[in-house]
Amino acid sequence: MSENDSSAERRAPGSFSPRAVGLMLGAVLLVIVVLSSFYVVDAREKGILLRFGRYVGRASDPGLHLKLPFGIDRVYNVETEVLHKLEFGFRTEEAGVRTVFSTQEFPEESVMLTGDLNIVDVKWSIQYRIIEPEKWLFNIVDGETTIKDISRSVFNRLVGDRAILDVMGDERPVIQLRAQEEMNALFGIEGYDIGVRVDAVQLQSVVPPRGAVQNAFEDVNKAIQDRNRLINEGKEAYNQTIPRAHGEADRLIAEAEGYQAERLNRAEGDVARYVHLYEEYRKSPEVTRTRLYYEMFEEVFKDAEGTDLIDKNLTNFIPLKQLGQELSLGGNQ
Amino acid sequence: MKRFITIVVVAGAALLIFLMLGPFYVVQEGQQAIILQFGRIVRSKTDAGLALKAPLIDQVVRYPKKIISWDGDPTLVPTQERQFIYVDTTARWRIVDPVLFYESVQDEQGAQTRLDAVIDSAVKEVISNNRLQEAVRNSDVINQIVRRSTDDAQDASSILGDTYTEVTFASIDKGRDELSNDMLGRAKEAEALYGIELLDVIIRQIRYSDDLTESVYSRMITERQQVAQAWRSDGEGLKAEWLGKREKERLEIISEAERTAKVIRGQADADAAAIYANAYNTDPEFYAFFKAIEAYRALLPNFQKTLSTDAEFFDYLYEQR
Repeated sequence: MSENDSSAERRAPGSFSPRAVGLMLGAVLLVIVVLSSFYVVDAREKGILLRFGRYVGRASDPGLHLKLPFGIDRVYNVETEVLHKLEFGFRTEEAGVRTVFSTQEFPEESVMLTGDLNIVDVKWSIQYRIIEPEKWLFNIVDGETTIKDISRSVFNRLVGDRAILDVMGDERPVIQLRAQEEMNALFGIEGYDIGVRVDAVQLQSVVPPRGAVQNAFEDVNKAIQDRNRLINEGKEAYNQTIPRAHGEADRLIAEAEGYQAERLNRAEGDVARYVHLYEEYRKSPEVTRTRLYYEMFEEVFKDAEGTDLIDKNLTNFIPLKQLGQELSLGGNQ
Repeated sequence: MKRFITIVVVAGAALLIFLMLGPFYVVQEGQQAIILQFGRIVRSKTDAGLALKAPLIDQVVRYPKKIISWDGDPTLVPTQERQFIYVDTTARWRIVDPVLFYESVQDEQGAQTRLDAVIDSAVKEVISNNRLQEAVRNSDVINQIVRRSTDDAQDASSILGDTYTEVTFASIDKGRDELSNDMLGRAKEAEALYGIELLDVIIRQIRYSDDLTESVYSRMITERQQVAQAWRSDGEGLKAEWLGKREKERLEIISEAERTAKVIRGQADADAAAIYANAYNTDPEFYAFFKAIEAYRALLPNFQKTLSTDAEFFDYLYEQR
């Protein structure tokens, strides 16, 4: 709108001189060149650089790097420092202090046949790392699928070689160890050579199929507990009785010993009394004898009222006495 | 100046157009390519790098050189003993002859479909000609596992292996790996047809058919019940053993004590008798008198008494000497 801006009136707004167009094109080109000449490799990654599609032979370490622009050099970053985790038969929904597992079941992964032709439910996880990124990129299409397939196949075979109770029991660490070895053999140079190493194999759970079968297995554990309980009951009864029996035995013996002491003491007392008396008797036999006799007689008849005295010359008293027996009961007292 | 710029721009545009027509093509690592001229294969390039082609005329078809997975659906197959099982297999393959591959199946999808048929039939043939255990087991490891016996086992989990300690399983002839190789061998006939290499066929999972699963479940249950019963009966037996031991020891203890007590009492009686006899033997005549006196004193008060004056006691009653 300005009156004195004559050059602005001669050209339509938005149109530029060829010079300006060239400059702008050049600037855009420069920006593209500059931007496509750098690439960044993260600390967890290795960069694989392809020049005209061909691998130049070394992986780039983390940091900022130069490359040729316009797609002449292409870079693929591969996470080599990251532990990748794969889960079989279960899925972690939320990892953390209290890990939440999905309630969903994955029987197509976890159901297996054991060597004794039983069915068992095995859940496990593996952790792997990409150790040779160029092999991971160029030797296999969708490497994760292959890792999953191999992992499942290896576990199926290891479980299939063992009895169900062994799989659930002592053989668990063996299976873990063998699975890792066998997988690494298959992923290594001798196998598919895909540049992957399995660092850990973890058996999450090995259980019989849910429901009635699991209950039956549980029942065996209960039966073992029952067995222990029964043994304890037996021991309890034993422990209840035997110490008491020992006490009883001690009592019987103690009583016998008491009897022994009493018997001997009495005997010695009796004898002592007799011996004293006998010594007196030896000094004056006739008198002592008579004294003892009359003392006895006196004592026996002292309290006896109503004793009948029959003169040796009377002859017919005895039958009468027998008839009046009831009436003379008081005579005893 | 202006002319120079025009020349540069025109040259640049021409170069751009030339490049856009595509005189070069790139084969990346892990890829291979065939060059078609109006549908006719003229050459193939199997190593990575930059190469020239005729613009507009040459058409480049790229295939992976990498390992590709084949994934089959679980198939229901009867084993030799007519037990129906689901066999889930996977395979790995790669394109080794891209020309033949292009001619026979065109693309990966086509190859996978062909493999479906080939591998499925290989699986069926191999599984149905072998016993179930050949497919399930891979070796006779099952008979070599050392299982602990009950005696040193105290807690439930370690006793689990117990019932199997005596069992020996039938040896297998082939095993799973060999069956896999059989399948691979049969499926390999497809290699020459499609220009591919089949690396392996592996069994990913074996499952019983649903009917069979049910009966296996009930077998497992009865097996466990029998084991549980064995544990319980064993417990009952051991309890009875303790009870028997209790009764035996109780009787032993008590009877032994009774015996000892009787010996002590008998000894006491004997000792007492010896003491008496020792004292009384010095004058048996006096002892008889003494004992008589004692006995009268003890017993006579119990009698109803009628005295006769015959007794010595009354010697002085009628006459005084």
